[in-house]
Amino acid sequence: MTSGTAAHLMPLAIAVPVLVACLMVAAGSRLPHHVLDLLGVATSLTVCALAAVVLTRSADGRVVTWNGDWRPKRGVSVGIPLVADSLSAGTALLIAGLMSCALLYSWRYYSPVRGYYHALMLLFLAGMEGFVLSGDLFDMFVFFELMGIAAYALTGLKIEDPTAVQGGLNFGIVNSLGAYFSLAGIGVLYARHGQLGLAPLGQRLTEHRADALTVVALVVIVTCFLVKAAVVPFHFWLPDAHAVAPAPVCVLFSGVMVELGLYGAFRVFWTVFGSAVPHDDIRGAFLPAGVLTAVVGALMCFAQSHLKRMLAYSTIAHVGLFTTGLATLTPEGTAGVALYAAAHAGVKSALFLLVGVILARHGHVDELKLHGCGRDARFVSWLYFAAGAALAGLPPFGTALGKSVTEEALTRAGHPWGPAVFVAVSALTGGAVLRAGFRIYLGAGPAPDAGGPVAIAAQTTGIEEHRETEQLSRTPRTMYAAVLLLLAGGLAVGVLPGAGRAFDHAAEGFTDPRGYAAAVLFGTAPAVGSPHHESTWTAQGVVLGCVSTAAAVLLAAAAVRAPRAPDARRARLRPFLRSLAAVRALHSGHVGDYAAWLLFGMTALAALVGVLPVDG
Amino acid sequence: MSSRGRLALFLLGAAGVAVLFATAFLGMPAFGSEDHPYRDLAVPAAVRHATANVVSSVNFDQRGIDTFGEETIVLGSVIGVAALLRPAQRESEQRPPPDRHRLESTTLLGYVLLPVTLVVGLDVVAHGHVSPGGGFQGGVILATGFHLLYLAGSYQALARLRPVEIFDRGEALGAGLFGVLGAAGLAATGAFLANVIPTGSFGQLFSGGTVPVLNVLVGLEVSCGAVVLLTHFFTEAITLSVGGRRERGGGT
Repeated sequence: MTSGTAAHLMPLAIAVPVLVACLMVAAGSRLPHHVLDLLGVATSLTVCALAAVVLTRSADGRVVTWNGDWRPKRGVSVGIPLVADSLSAGTALLIAGLMSCALLYSWRYYSPVRGYYHALMLLFLAGMEGFVLSGDLFDMFVFFELMGIAAYALTGLKIEDPTAVQGGLNFGIVNSLGAYFSLAGIGVLYARHGQLGLAPLGQRLTEHRADALTVVALVVIVTCFLVKAAVVPFHFWLPDAHAVAPAPVCVLFSGVMVELGLYGAFRVFWTVFGSAVPHDDIRGAFLPAGVLTAVVGALMCFAQSHLKRMLAYSTIAHVGLFTTGLATLTPEGTAGVALYAAAHAGVKSALFLLVGVILARHGHVDELKLHGCGRDARFVSWLYFAAGAALAGLPPFGTALGKSVTEEALTRAGHPWGPAVFVAVSALTGGAVLRAGFRIYLGAGPAPDAGGPVAIAAQTTGIEEHRETEQLSRTPRTMYAAVLLLLAGGLAVGVLPGAGRAFDHAAEGFTDPRGYAAAVLFGTAPAVGSPHHESTWTAQGVVLGCVSTAAAVLLAAAAVRAPRAPDARRARLRPFLRSLAAVRALHSGHVGDYAAWLLFGMTALAALVGVLPVDG
Repeated sequence: MSSRGRLALFLLGAAGVAVLFATAFLGMPAFGSEDHPYRDLAVPAAVRHATANVVSSVNFDQRGIDTFGEETIVLGSVIGVAALLRPAQRESEQRPPPDRHRLESTTLLGYVLLPVTLVVGLDVVAHGHVSPGGGFQGGVILATGFHLLYLAGSYQALARLRPVEIFDRGEALGAGLFGVLGAAGLAATGAFLANVIPTGSFGQLFSGGTVPVLNVLVGLEVSCGAVVLLTHFFTEAITLSVGGRRERGGGT
């Protein structure tokens, strides 16, 4: 197959799900449930196949297609290209793979309500594929909105539950607000340069000295991506939305939609602003933002007893780590994060689905009230503990490999504190998940009615969570299959020989704007340079992975026993607990607060990028 | 956060954002200045494809995939609203309340304007490639026309004119055929949404190749979508009740 044929497949990855969604809408209530399920899974698998072909071809150079046949002449065009380098093609495959697993999980057990659920999931798929493959700033924005629209509706799908409607609203308002600012930023950049393509904009910016307009445009445009990526202080919508969205929808939210925010921010930075804005300014802004996000996410994660909120905060913590890694602006940091994010998608998605199984069986997701409820669930408990340990960074899961490569990239880039942050955050998030597992599956610690821990009154518990399926006495095989596939994916990233090399190649292409512009505008396909560095297991990485896992187990065990801790030790913890309560109080659920934080965040980001001098 | 704290944070952030945008706007080229790289490319391209309305050429030909995404957003919004406003378990559908009396002048004006609005809508859709307008604008005008029936006549009259199933299908057909036409371009020339229909002569009704066809499809999708959208809001406000009691006064 020639790369031309592969290029033709890219628009189909967007159009096919849209067409099937139209079919579902046109058929209305006449399609039986199993036909909807079958159509949904078959469509996602088709997109998987398309993305896999494009990914294979992208190994030899970027795959480019110009929609409407408006190919550039002498490096300029009026049209919109779709561009696949290994990273975007791999992400396209990840999106379709997660969608397949999510729809497999919801097979037969998610009420189809006239095909709305399935149609929205497919439009969500089309939006994400379009976003990741587009090579045009405004076109990225259009598909960003498409995935947003589908995501807001999917969040509020459980209409009987008022918190679901609130979660969807908060999500919609905060994301739309960010998007409008970004649209204005795109307008500013277009007014100056008269171009919207990533590559042509990049070329124009190479010729112009970066001035205030350029920096403002950068800050404002990446705002909507950072809102989607839930970087602090743009993150408030995420736990509200994750807590109420159906479990298979959370798979896509945490597994890839949030990460697409970072993809968008750094894709735009590298291709458009990479040559104009000093890299140290970007590092000076995104390294602290990443660390802050990781720390806030990890602490909030450990403080939750609502299982879905816990996983949501863990996603924020990991996004913080990803941001920190990408902010090194090196190919190795990027490769490490891509590895980490791919494996995290499998592991975190598996955890969300396991919590979905708990919700289907017990009707709520509160860690404390579920005490001992899972004692009979042997197989599921093994899956849960494996996923929890993988989240904490247990080798040979891909999460451990990604974590190790990113840690080394940070150290090499002159940030020796990097590994410490990664280990601490992995231990806290993994520890929270394992702690819940100890309580639920092993019945560890005191039972809640026997003087055990009681949720603080103001805290959100998972008791109110509404069921999304009929009550299940036995977990259906399709649900297990989806969880197993996702966990196997998270493992495969770590153990498949050549995985590291493939991600190095992808990162090398992603961080090479000149090669990108040459391929897009002049159709020359310079081979992506061979990576200078090889992402592979190292002794230090394995040791740090084991350390973070062990720390997670200890934290979990300590937390389960905590109520019996002597008063002296509790007193020492008091200042820490008080500051944690203060951070927690900021997550108010009040959308006005979230909007105010968004504006503040934009200002702070601009100050960090534009004002603070940073020495490399 | 206390409301005072929220206000302080907001004012701080808003001041910063205002400074950011003021800085950016000051750096922008003056309004109407000569240098415009995209215009210099887009106008000749529109002329080459015999599309008199350059804006339509940009929207449906040169940057057609943007519009494919946008009309899919319309589709997604309508499905999303349908999913969120579906009757909840505790709600049941009731007969709509009897209509209040209307001024005869309102009724007369409504019935006179109804056919006129529909014709204007069709005209705006059909000539989107030669004069200002197009599928999005014309579609909204068409949907408005249908709802004059509600203002002039009654909710029951509107409900009779608007079998939702048909409009659902019209919306899906418009959105789906856009994608099919895109795929046809892919099959014929190897480029998605390529302009594969003969472009005709400049300024005529039959010109612009795929542009008028896509305009008609978008017109179909937007008009049907808007009708379906409003139907769901009407149903929620007028005919749904909670436990036998009407929740909101709503409607007529």
